[in-house]
Amino acid sequence: MSSRLALIAAVVAITVLYSLPAFAPDPYVLHVLVLACLYVIPAVGLNLMLGYTGLVSLGHMGFAGVGAYVGAILLVDVKHGFWVTLLLATLAAGFAGALVGAICLRFRTHFFMIVTLAFGLLAFSVFNNWDEVTRGAVGFPGIPRPRPIELGGVRYTFGPLPHFYYFVLTAAMLVFALQRLVVRSDFGCTLMAIRQDEKLAQAKGVDVMRYKVAVFALGAALAGLGGLLHVSFLRVAAPASFNLAESINAVLIVVLGGAGSLVGPALGALVFVALPEYLRMTAEWRLVIFGALLVVVTLFAPRGLAGLFHSRNIGVRPGSDTNVK
Amino acid sequence: MMKLLAVEGVRKRYGGVIALADVSFAIEQSGIYGLIGPNGAGKTTLFDVIAGNTAADNGRVIIDDREMTGALPYRLVRQGVARSFQECRVLSEFTCLENLLFAAQPKTLGHGIAQIFTRRDAHRRAALESARHLLDLVNLTAYADAPASVLSFGQRRLLEIVTTFIMRPRVLLLDEPAAGVNPALLETLDRALRAMIAERTGVFLIVEHNMTFIFALAHEIIVMHQGVVLERGTPEQIQASPRVVEAYLG
Amino acid sequence: MLEALAEQIINGLMMGSVYVLVALGMVLVYGVMHVVNFAHGVLFMMGGYVAHFFFARVTGSYVLATLLTMALLAVIGIAIERAIFRPLAGNLRNQVIASLGLILAIENLTIAIWGPNALQLKLPSTETLVTIGPLRFPEHQLLIIAITAVMVVALSLFLKRSRFGTAIRATAQAREAALVVGIPVERVYWSTFAIGTALAALGGALIGPLFLIFPTMGDAPLVKGLAGILLGGMGSVPGAVIGGLSIGVLEAVSTLFLPTDYKDSIAFMAMVVILLLRPQGLFGVRVRGED
Repeated sequence: MSSRLALIAAVVAITVLYSLPAFAPDPYVLHVLVLACLYVIPAVGLNLMLGYTGLVSLGHMGFAGVGAYVGAILLVDVKHGFWVTLLLATLAAGFAGALVGAICLRFRTHFFMIVTLAFGLLAFSVFNNWDEVTRGAVGFPGIPRPRPIELGGVRYTFGPLPHFYYFVLTAAMLVFALQRLVVRSDFGCTLMAIRQDEKLAQAKGVDVMRYKVAVFALGAALAGLGGLLHVSFLRVAAPASFNLAESINAVLIVVLGGAGSLVGPALGALVFVALPEYLRMTAEWRLVIFGALLVVVTLFAPRGLAGLFHSRNIGVRPGSDTNVK
Repeated sequence: MMKLLAVEGVRKRYGGVIALADVSFAIEQSGIYGLIGPNGAGKTTLFDVIAGNTAADNGRVIIDDREMTGALPYRLVRQGVARSFQECRVLSEFTCLENLLFAAQPKTLGHGIAQIFTRRDAHRRAALESARHLLDLVNLTAYADAPASVLSFGQRRLLEIVTTFIMRPRVLLLDEPAAGVNPALLETLDRALRAMIAERTGVFLIVEHNMTFIFALAHEIIVMHQGVVLERGTPEQIQASPRVVEAYLG
Repeated sequence: MLEALAEQIINGLMMGSVYVLVALGMVLVYGVMHVVNFAHGVLFMMGGYVAHFFFARVTGSYVLATLLTMALLAVIGIAIERAIFRPLAGNLRNQVIASLGLILAIENLTIAIWGPNALQLKLPSTETLVTIGPLRFPEHQLLIIAITAVMVVALSLFLKRSRFGTAIRATAQAREAALVVGIPVERVYWSTFAIGTALAALGGALIGPLFLIFPTMGDAPLVKGLAGILLGGMGSVPGAVIGGLSIGVLEAVSTLFLPTDYKDSIAFMAMVVILLLRPQGLFGVRVRGED
């Protein structure tokens, strides 16, 4: 797809998405789209890690949980304002990512994945068992929406579904803009070099460890952001939203949509959330199909759904790494 | 005189195998140096030690009179060392031009993160000119926007070599650049190397098995054998040396 | 106090035996194919469900049901190796991602077919108690320890003494050399996978009667098995045994001092500690990773 066509497609998509509440105010549709946006934000983080840098993190949603619970505590127990909390929670998740990354990324591929798995499980265990702080398995209730704000004389509340929809849609757009900035920068170039051949990147002067920790922190921060918005939407934080199954779903969304492509996370999240609703499947069968799809995509279509649209993209072929050991 | 590249008493063993027994030499003048020796002499291991890919068990590595023993590869790059690999490594998914631009771009994390937001690309435009010139030097201009994966092995070698050169190294380590390259491209390689050393002085240390190629190119040859430096001299001297002949035939 | 400790050690040896069965399968596959099969946990789980099916529907003999389970799962393991892991050989990331897909598909297929509630496999051996000194244990618990010990010995003998076992060890050490010498490397691959899967299935079939059979029963043993391998050293069979048992005992003994909620975390934390302090494990060899 040429970049002009891509630009037109993007503008059309954005216009449609923003005008949706006016033309098709069905709350069910909006609900599904809100969920899609909430899945997309951590997915972009994982896309940067996995798709562009080649880091397979099996505990990504653990960081979403960090953002969610730190935010919950700050909002409900400490009674901070929403926007300050959003910033702090995102930073906390990013910091956790840097810490975990500094530990995990020293290890070779296999061990790295195992340690990310361990951290994800550890995080879930904490969310699920530390009743005094996280309220444990029953969940952390009472998480508020942002308080109403004044926008040019107009009072904007976050309670109504369309209003919250605009909010998360905008957040998702900003995250995509950030992704594009990162990918099309020297930093992004270096990430893609690391994915293709770490040893070569090193020989060209890259401090590979530092870059990996940096993208890990960034990915974790985005996960944390998504996590907090998610629990604000549901008004409750539940550990089950951040368990191993959810981390696997995150990988599924990124790979299915197209790891290492800009639009991949959006395609993946949409298909993951919207398709089963459309087809009226039970949750289990949906995941069976998706699991099978993940295997099929990995075997036959490593570029995912995005690969159907792009004829050539820098670094969009996670299946064709030359130097993976 | 300043030691542009020096190793002193470098030892390295892998389990029971002694790869480098005691290697010492110093290079104080720019130019093309050949590093030859029978298989198992330790040449690639020496490169790995100098470029930071392996830590030596003993000894020192000196670049521009600075001790760089045990430094990681990226630090050595910042000190002016660049290397190519025996197996030839390029970024297959990037185009030839992108390979060169990546090699040329500043790699510090600070620069990388800042550039996300400043979008400054003056350095990139400057490197573009240099990149096109280098592609022209190795007859790859036609492939500037093609992914490196479509290149033949010999062409990939040439690409790899110019990506090391665009890094403006003071010490350039080339590991068997002629291996697997067909004779027509060898001529291009020879011309390119001569042009490069003429453009920027520095030390080109080239491991080679292709004697014709390296003897024509280098002004000095260092011979390694069984993990030590056996002899050093001009190509004529080395060709005439009985010890060298014995090392290869014995 | 000493009684409680002894009791927990025996408990730990039992759970540890289950972890050993999982770990052995994974360490074999890793040693030979250099792949960590993350789907091993769901194969363990399938062992429980399939054993239940055979026991309840086909034969009233637990022994026969278990053997049939191992055979069926071995075949499934071969299918997975040939259809998924072999085509992706050399691409580590994609192999792991594909195994995630397997986990998703198999775990949810199980829920879709059997429902989310746990199944019970009632056996006399879980009811009968055996007395050791002042302590009493279900017969089944000691059975698990015994059967695992037998399997470990059998596997070691097979690897060391038999021709094919030597072929497996040779392939693990040096694949190209094995090819040159004429070892049927492809057959080694799927056989190893089959053995590993059968062992995992055995684990699931053994633990099912004691603790119920449910869709996510493989998640924890997967992680504990991994912890065991890390502790023992990747690629080391005796390491997997010692590692698996150690994790089991460590977990069980920890319940004496820590709230049981955190029992699972012991394995996770052990993993992190091992990787930080001694990444090669107890018996592994330190390789200066270039990756």
